[in-house]
Amino acid sequence: MNIMLLALSAALINNVVLSQFLGICAFLGVSKKSKSAIGMGFAVTFVLTLASLVCGIIYHFLLVPFGLQYLKTIAFILIVAALVQFVEMFLKKFVKSLYDALGIYLPLITTNCAVLGVALINVQKDYSIFTGTVYGFFTAVGFLVAITILSYIREKMEFNNVPKAFQGFPIVMITAALMSIAFFGFSSF
Amino acid sequence: MKDNKDKPLERIWNGIYVENPVFCLILGMCPTLATTTSATNAIGMGLSTTAILVASNLMISLLKGIIPNRMRIPSYIVIIASFVTIVEFLMEGFFPSVYASLGIYIPLIVVNCIIMGRAEAYAGKKGPVESVFDGLGMGIGFTLALLLIGSVREIVGAGTWFGAKITPAIYEPVNLFILAPGAFLVMAFFVAIMNKLKIGAARRTDWDPTENGCADCSSCAKLGFCGGKPAAAEEEVKA
Amino acid sequence: MDTVYNVSPSPHVRDNVTTQKIMGAVALALLPASAAGVILYGVHALLVLIVSIASAVLSEYVFEKITNRPVTIYDLSAVVTGLLIGLNMPPEVPVFIPVLGSIFGIIVVKQLFGGIGQNFMNPALGARCFLIISFSSQMTDFAAKGGIMGASAVDAVSSATPLATLKTGAAFPLGDLFLGTTLGTIGETSAFALLIGAVFLLWIKVIDLRIPLSYIGTFFVLVLVTALIRGYEAPLYYTVCEIFAGGLMLGAWFMATDYASSPMTANGQLIYGVCLGVLTFLFRMVSKSNEGVSYAIIFMNCLTPMIEQFTRPLAFGIKREKEAKHE
Repeated sequence: MNIMLLALSAALINNVVLSQFLGICAFLGVSKKSKSAIGMGFAVTFVLTLASLVCGIIYHFLLVPFGLQYLKTIAFILIVAALVQFVEMFLKKFVKSLYDALGIYLPLITTNCAVLGVALINVQKDYSIFTGTVYGFFTAVGFLVAITILSYIREKMEFNNVPKAFQGFPIVMITAALMSIAFFGFSSF
Repeated sequence: MKDNKDKPLERIWNGIYVENPVFCLILGMCPTLATTTSATNAIGMGLSTTAILVASNLMISLLKGIIPNRMRIPSYIVIIASFVTIVEFLMEGFFPSVYASLGIYIPLIVVNCIIMGRAEAYAGKKGPVESVFDGLGMGIGFTLALLLIGSVREIVGAGTWFGAKITPAIYEPVNLFILAPGAFLVMAFFVAIMNKLKIGAARRTDWDPTENGCADCSSCAKLGFCGGKPAAAEEEVKA
Repeated sequence: MDTVYNVSPSPHVRDNVTTQKIMGAVALALLPASAAGVILYGVHALLVLIVSIASAVLSEYVFEKITNRPVTIYDLSAVVTGLLIGLNMPPEVPVFIPVLGSIFGIIVVKQLFGGIGQNFMNPALGARCFLIISFSSQMTDFAAKGGIMGASAVDAVSSATPLATLKTGAAFPLGDLFLGTTLGTIGETSAFALLIGAVFLLWIKVIDLRIPLSYIGTFFVLVLVTALIRGYEAPLYYTVCEIFAGGLMLGAWFMATDYASSPMTANGQLIYGVCLGVLTFLFRMVSKSNEGVSYAIIFMNCLTPMIEQFTRPLAFGIKREKEAKHE
């Protein structure tokens, strides 16, 4: 039951993008078309879950026993960068269909602050490896939900008569603001 | 780049106005939206980022001769991450309250596109003195932008500035502005104003991401509405 | 050869329905509820309504003048938005709050997106949620000072809204809920007055039954089942109370049916209504808050473009191919 609450909280209540502002760059940049958005969402889910798991393992089995917790920032970011590279190579060789499906979104995830952010939050909140991985997965689900919703709204808005000063970046920010207000309803759970 | 663009004062002005990272380059959105809940937090974040920017720019510029090209990005990451860790501990020790309110956004400076971007675009190619001033300029520009946004959010949303109440008693603070939606709203209006006045990102039609250190456009917040080449990159992303 | 033919592109068969007429009808339909609100809560409620409408119209006018756009206040959509915002306010709310709400609703939620029909979110509800977040204490203070409710108010003790009572599983006098002699926002309490307006709109075919019925129906079933499971006394009575309490009547008949922010397709509308029912149920009976209609509707507004895409009807003659084959 606790896990359920954690999952819901990660995905909707403290939505990674609309509440915590992690992954904003990808959120804004790849949400113009729904196909790209969904692709990015799945890619992030894949990498984020894996990264939470690996970072959790490294932290608990390597850094903590040797008293090297202060190295976590360096360690995590290197892990994420390496992981993305590795996943890309692995998929390209063994699961070509998935590689083609995720395409170019994979390398972009390295600098996605959501990935590093979640790894750090797992440490901050003292999650076990399992809890941390579950948290990572549902956080990414929240990202997928948010970016998908935004992409469909943006597609619908494509021919809107937006005032010139607001065209482009500002109106997308306003859309995000309204979405953020809409997600506030979940904070009462 | 022309020679006089590398002079120290020129670099500083560049970071503050010509290529302000928040309003012109639209980089580093995550910390910008997250840490501007008050003017104090904004300054805390801005100054920490500046410190790291200057330090890493300097270090990278000094070591650029030694780092093999293929190991470029990983080395930059290690250097930046090391300085972030140092700054993190300094903050925890000397400014614990700011450290507490900024939370995970301090270690997240590692993935702040501004730092990696400047490393790639400038420090990796230019000498140490210019790099230091470039980092200083970008950092100050970032800090000023954050301070501006943070002040607006704090004054409108809480009636205070740097924690001191400055609005008249009759003013009822609009709580939304210090919360998540407020960040998006304030950012939207600032960029819209800049677009209207044709300063900031709207001025630039010559923006070349590869030259300026962005890994590529697809993860950039400006994709699709940047004035430069990225519009073409969007076609790639769509495919 | 001197017969003049009218050469023009289609359509040649025109209806005399205009935006103005539709909006006018909606405003008319809301009159009973507005009147009920003023009678129940007094003169301040009337002030709130007038101020909301005025700020909405003024904001739209000023915005359109500043941005050099055609002035559209005569299509009465700003009037309706303003009225809806006012009806969603607590009766004694400080006047600056609906003013701010109207400005936000008209300018940020509606005009910045391109004006009427181009907004994805219901402006009145977007404004209301903006205000709930920004001024939470004023927006949840339902004490009545004027009108019938003001005169009979026993004190702060009885200023619990029906929803608060229902939250504990206890039922509320149904007669009061139906007529509106309870505490709540200006327009939401009198289910009777709202239904008069709803029937009128249905009769002149401005709104359709699909969304309200699927919304209320789903909600009804979910609440009944939960009331049975939780062992509330008189579950059916309780369920009917839940339907008439809070903003459900106002939301289901007047807000969820907003053309711009709800799906265009028939199936889409059914899905939309059902999801609204589920969300409202979850907010009201599972979460810690009392009300759920506003947040449910604006969340579903965000999902509307997606719903429309997935329920797109096929053009006549085209076989449905797997979309994955197209790139």
